[in-house]
Amino acid sequence: MKTKTFFQFIGPSLALMLMLMAAPLVLTGYLSVRNCSLQMELVKAQENTPFGTQEILAHQAKLDRAGNALQTCEFVGLDYYRKVLGLNSDNSVKSAPAQPVKPQNEFYGALQFTLIYIFVTLPFVLGIGFLLALGVNNVTQKLKGLFISASLLPFIITPVVAALSIKWLFRDNGLVPYLLSHVGVQVFWMAEAWSARLLIIIYGIWHVVPFAFIVLYAGLQSVPQDSLEAATIDGASRWQKMRFVTVPHLMPLIVFLSLIHLMDAYRVFEPVMVLTQGAFTASVQYLTYFILLQENNPFKASAAAVLTLIGILILLIPLLVKTYREQRGGM
Amino acid sequence: MVACKVKQKSKALQWFIYGGLTLWLVVASLPIVWTAIISFRQYVDAFSSPVKWVAPFTVDNYTALWIDRAFYRNFLNTALVTVGTVTISLAVGCLAGYALSRYRGSLGFWLLLVALVFRAIPHSSLLPSFFTMFDALGIRNTYFALIFVLVAINQPFTIWMLRSFFINIPSELDEAALVDGCSRFQAFRKVIIPVMWPGVVTTGLFSFLLAYNDFLLSSALTNAEKMTMPAAIANAIGAESEALLMQGVAGAVSITIPLIILIVFFQKQIVGGLTQGAVKG
Repeated sequence: MKTKTFFQFIGPSLALMLMLMAAPLVLTGYLSVRNCSLQMELVKAQENTPFGTQEILAHQAKLDRAGNALQTCEFVGLDYYRKVLGLNSDNSVKSAPAQPVKPQNEFYGALQFTLIYIFVTLPFVLGIGFLLALGVNNVTQKLKGLFISASLLPFIITPVVAALSIKWLFRDNGLVPYLLSHVGVQVFWMAEAWSARLLIIIYGIWHVVPFAFIVLYAGLQSVPQDSLEAATIDGASRWQKMRFVTVPHLMPLIVFLSLIHLMDAYRVFEPVMVLTQGAFTASVQYLTYFILLQENNPFKASAAAVLTLIGILILLIPLLVKTYREQRGGM
Repeated sequence: MVACKVKQKSKALQWFIYGGLTLWLVVASLPIVWTAIISFRQYVDAFSSPVKWVAPFTVDNYTALWIDRAFYRNFLNTALVTVGTVTISLAVGCLAGYALSRYRGSLGFWLLLVALVFRAIPHSSLLPSFFTMFDALGIRNTYFALIFVLVAINQPFTIWMLRSFFINIPSELDEAALVDGCSRFQAFRKVIIPVMWPGVVTTGLFSFLLAYNDFLLSSALTNAEKMTMPAAIANAIGAESEALLMQGVAGAVSITIPLIILIVFFQKQIVGGLTQGAVKG
């Protein structure tokens, strides 16, 4: 295909990605070093008091002719990065004599939990997925279809709905605390940091296991039967066949699943929002959302967004290297 | 005798396998099954101590949600947004995916690599810019903006997936058409489009899921009357009022039913799509 034709075909897609992904990324970087605030002015206003009308001075947002509030924008450098990272070198803070305000490192906390989430869920997702794949491989054909269908739901269900369902299952007077009370366990799941975090992790495992299961199950179908038979003839035990034939064959899929999980789990958002409402823990994606919509500060949110993006780029390096090798090799 | 021993062992193993699989089925379906059960109850029966296994049946939550709170409007919004997103995604994505599967230059490779990075971008990182851009253009809180954002976010995945389908269509097919004097676009339309449908259906399903399931962008970019179903259900997250909570429960079930129908009809394509990426890398 000629390069010109190539661009004609890919044009619309490229334009969309440039306008709504590449450009916003650049803009985010720009916003993160700026700050805008409303221009205030002192205006004379009349105030009616019981003692008669008084003239007072009041602060009011300056308006332009069309009636929109005027804003002053300025370059603030890395101020917002410092705020998000809790490195407050602001002079105003330093000069405050009593009780130095302990800077809060919001981003670090969010990043820490995001990484915990990724690396705690990963082994469970792969392990349970692998066991299920092995199990389903051993049942009759009819049950396989039913089982795969039923397993799909946790993976394709709307995440916010899934998180809500789990919340209702675990809340006070819900089913799970009731069942657990029979074995003497009493936990107010959404009331403490550790249990709320555990719930998010349980959600994460529950949500992604079906994906790992289906991919690994498909991989199992292509395990070379003659290698397995040869191993049997050589007297290999069930475990040895697994260890030396099946698992090595599935290795590329396990690597693939891990990389995808790394990428997707870094974006964890809905369960954090639903299960804790940010009370005990945040994820990096939730942090940006919270600063933008609750604190209403697009500039600080941009700084958090840039830090989030740096994080994903670092995590992506292994995947990019893998893809680079494969695609280059294939060409 | 040895054979007998082996057989017995596999029977125990068989029990273990079926036990494990049944346990997973229960765990996998419990949240949504239990939510469905309590959605037909009054609040006092839905969350009670001790938990009630049987309780009076009522559809009050559903009527309150769909009629009193006009959830049908959110349903229509979701329908509009998903249909719009899937259609545009596929139209734009097919052209790009086809081009990427036929172009030999290294530019195509770099585009795919960048698309991979874009696929990994956390969506909330784009929101501050979206707010700024859409406010400047006056298109914040429009279906138009939301649909195009979802299409763009979807593109990296869509073009990767469609490309891997198009690569499997032998290029001799369209090259023969080129030799016969067709332009590239005619070759695409007359030769490729008729045979590309399995790939398009599978990719379309995943585009649908992305648009249908999206909460973050939909809730941030639209409000009030334009909200999709997942965005509207956010009311139930911190609901203090019992009525609101129960409407959320009914809403959760309402959102899930179309997905269950989707699984029933398209199980093969969804499974195929999930494994496709894995096999292709």
